[in-house]
Amino acid sequence: MNTKKSTTRAWLALAGLGLVLSGCHSSVKQAASTASHEYLLTVTRPNQLQVIDTETNRISRSCDIPGYFGSGSIATSPNGRIAYVLSNKWEDIYGFDITDCKMVFSAKQSTEKVTVKTFFSLTLSPDGKELYTIQNPVGKLPDRYQVMQPQLAVFDTSAGFDVQPSRRWPVDRRITKIATLASGEVVLGGADLKAIDPQNGKVRVISKLQNWERGPRWLTPDAFAVSSQGEHVGEYIMPYVTAEFKDDSMNFETADWWWGMSRVDLSTGEVEQLETVPFQFIVFSWVTDPHDANIIYGAFNTLSKHDIKEKKTLAVTDMDHTYYTINMTSDGGTLYVGGTSSDISVHDPATLEKKGSIQLPGDMSTADMRLARLQE
Amino acid sequence: MKQISKKSALLIGGFLALAGNGTFAAAAQPMSGEQIIQQQCTACHTKTGDASKPYSRISQQRKTPEGWQMTLHRMVSIHQAKISDAERKQVLKYLADTQGLAPAETAGLRYGLERDGNLVENNDPAYAEMCARCHSGARFGLQRRTRAEWDLLVQFHMGQIPTLELHSLARDRPWFELAMNEVAPKLAEDFPFETAAWKAWQAADKPTFAHAWTIAGYIPGKGDFDAVMQVRDQGDDRYALEIAGHYADGRPLSGSGQAITYTGYEWRAALTLDGMKLRQILAANEQGTQMTGRLFMAGANELGAEMVAQRAAKGDHAVTRVMPSHIRQGTRQEITLVGAGLQGTPELGEGVRVIKTLSAGTNRMRLLVEADKQAAVGLRDIRVGQIQVPAMLAVFDQVARVEVVPGESIARVGGNGMPVAKVKSAYRAVGYASGADGKPGTADDIRLGHMPATWTLKAFDETAEQDNDLKYAGTIDANGIFTPGDAGPNPERKMSTNNVGNLSVVGSVDDGGGQVSGEAHLLVTVQRFVRSSVQ
Ligand code: HEC
Ligand code: HEC
Repeated sequence: MNTKKSTTRAWLALAGLGLVLSGCHSSVKQAASTASHEYLLTVTRPNQLQVIDTETNRISRSCDIPGYFGSGSIATSPNGRIAYVLSNKWEDIYGFDITDCKMVFSAKQSTEKVTVKTFFSLTLSPDGKELYTIQNPVGKLPDRYQVMQPQLAVFDTSAGFDVQPSRRWPVDRRITKIATLASGEVVLGGADLKAIDPQNGKVRVISKLQNWERGPRWLTPDAFAVSSQGEHVGEYIMPYVTAEFKDDSMNFETADWWWGMSRVDLSTGEVEQLETVPFQFIVFSWVTDPHDANIIYGAFNTLSKHDIKEKKTLAVTDMDHTYYTINMTSDGGTLYVGGTSSDISVHDPATLEKKGSIQLPGDMSTADMRLARLQE
Repeated sequence: MKQISKKSALLIGGFLALAGNGTFAAAAQPMSGEQIIQQQCTACHTKTGDASKPYSRISQQRKTPEGWQMTLHRMVSIHQAKISDAERKQVLKYLADTQGLAPAETAGLRYGLERDGNLVENNDPAYAEMCARCHSGARFGLQRRTRAEWDLLVQFHMGQIPTLELHSLARDRPWFELAMNEVAPKLAEDFPFETAAWKAWQAADKPTFAHAWTIAGYIPGKGDFDAVMQVRDQGDDRYALEIAGHYADGRPLSGSGQAITYTGYEWRAALTLDGMKLRQILAANEQGTQMTGRLFMAGANELGAEMVAQRAAKGDHAVTRVMPSHIRQGTRQEITLVGAGLQGTPELGEGVRVIKTLSAGTNRMRLLVEADKQAAVGLRDIRVGQIQVPAMLAVFDQVARVEVVPGESIARVGGNGMPVAKVKSAYRAVGYASGADGKPGTADDIRLGHMPATWTLKAFDETAEQDNDLKYAGTIDANGIFTPGDAGPNPERKMSTNNVGNLSVVGSVDDGGGQVSGEAHLLVTVQRFVRSSVQ
């Protein structure tokens, strides 16, 4: 018994060392090529921003965030230095320098008379000078609530604390994740995928979903982006589920059920919409392999790898518990599966084999798990 | 100086006197529900100036006592309205009485009040996905509002549940726009504030309750019972109850309780029977001769059953229960009739003879009864003196089919140091004879009523079998009561899942040596952290 225990412990120690070593190795490689260092950012309960070094897979820093937890959505400045976090039950935004946890920005969206919620919608302009959120205001009158028009709110990131929006433009309801195109337009993840110009509020449709024109044989897609990340390759993914009916009787039993996505290349603004793989299990978020846009990975109760041209599942592995979100280093070397609970599961993209686990001091719940590429 | 001090002394005296008077008056005569609304609710609600609907948001809707309870609870817990529990009860009584639902307006939806979580609803497609996916359709079917109030209810949902639009079955459609433009107008049409039924009920003579009542029902774990419930008036629609009776096997049953009525017909009682704490949620019929509803455990609302109370005042004549409600051809057994004003020898229909009257009370008769070998299979009318009740007793040849009720049920894991208790579920077996066509499961099957059964569980499907749900999800006892497993992740299970499961409940009835079984579906799921007075 005793010997068995001690060998296990020795093996664990070695494994730990192994991780550190391989981390060092890749850092050398990266330093040579990009002079940047990648950190994984997430928020844990009670309310802390965790800055995780992707070389060591260890927490480098934990920054206390004011207010109550929620939703823990994160947007990073283009230079990777400032992380903006959605806090206080989806209402306030706080910006932190991830190298020293110093708070550099704050904005409270709600007032005494109007409660403003943001559903994961947080992004920055390409130059980092503006922060965008989607505001969903509800007026609190003495004896009634009054639903108000959602808006894109524009904040000046250099304005410091208690910043008020400098501009606002009306947008659709039901917008979740947003992202900024290189052109400066902001992708709005709503019922249809649209883009808004934050300079003048002009909106255009970039990928129809709820109003798609595929005819009666296709079920209106159930599209939902809350845990999509995508910054490792500069893309935005709006995943959806749909069904193709065998005939006009719209029989759900015999229909072919599909995962699909509208995928936006944030540098060019190009959008593709396609059914990716048959619906076999639930996936909450998807990432694209940096080396091959035809390969995607998905996570929830399983971690899976798919070829979307062939519409084939290449590998599936069961997870220890439910994970909401998935991300990847930009060299395509490591998959991170997180959200929900208090650990991030680390996997090899080639085999999906679990390589390690990052234990966090609290639950991630709905929080993002973002990659920040810190320019040094 | 002198003058000034005299004046201020007077003022102080006057002030003290006034204050003293005020306190005295308040103690002697507490504020009425209407006064409390006028004084406390107007901190946020406004006076409209319209005498027929004097307060904003409050005077434009009608609902059940439980509906009002839910709203008032929210005023205190979420909006921090400063009213005491006593004041809240006072306002609840006032609003339920003056802005309630007519008896006819609650018909068919009373399950929404009766705390039985296992009823399957069939909602209008216009409401099913839009409204009846978080709570029952009865929650709004048991309300009447002006169009503006249905609109404001939608606005309330958006404010109270900010992520509502993002839920599955909401994010695939413009939920808010549909709710405002299509659902609210339909609600206003289906459930309008002003109705002829309510006008008529307001004008009607209301039932009186201070009588003797014969009650009959079923207590899970104990069995069928019947009793006399004496109701004593205590003023302000409050009553004291004394109960004495028997279980079906003859054991005595007794207890006492308190009741209150709302809206002239909504009966709510808390009782203690043989040490068990129970509740009654009943509705009197418009004539006030009968109350029907549900009797359930105060601490485990899911454990209960329908019950009936028959007024047993002078001149009342009725048979409400026959226990058991079936007799096999060529057999002899005891049968108990429960009702009011029972007099004379009962007639139980062709081929069924009363051999002997074992006891003859006006509310309860025990008979020794025999059915002929040749007695035709079918339902018999029962006649006692001037009372005739159709199809009350079934003569059968064999039990052809067993139905386990409820057919669809939910139990919830709980306990294990978690704040929410386990939610159990309880089953009964209902026997059927096959009827004229000789085939069970057809329209002419004859319902025999509840029958004793033995109880087992099995996995509902292949997945449940693979996940070994039978081992983890819970156990069923000899009385057909299912107790779910402990709450919290179970490291023994795949993905450390909770002790949830998908099971079949099998009830087997002994039919003269052979076993006839029926099955019900039981979903054992996770805790519900919010309990509502209207489902
Ligand atoms: C502190 C402010 C406040 C007080 C005091 C208050 N309310 Fe309200 N009431 C509200 C608000 C805000 C709403 C709208 C949101 C909601 O329905 O919860 C509301 C809504 C209502 C509604 C409409 C609910 C529905 O389902 O449409 C009713 C009825 C109501 N109140 C009754 C009362 C009564 C009766 C009292 C006094 C006992 C009271 N309120 C006291 C703030 C208050
Ligand atoms: C996302 C879940 C959800 C949906 C969808 C929903 N409700 Fe509700 N509803 C709730 C909750 C939660 C409450 C309880 C509020 C409280 O705490 O008092 C409620 C309360 C109510 C009440 C009682 C309010 C009162 O105080 O009298 C009514 C009536 C009602 N809902 C009707 C509707 C209708 C009509 C729709 C469709 C237009 C709808 N609900 C859709 C969750 C929902």
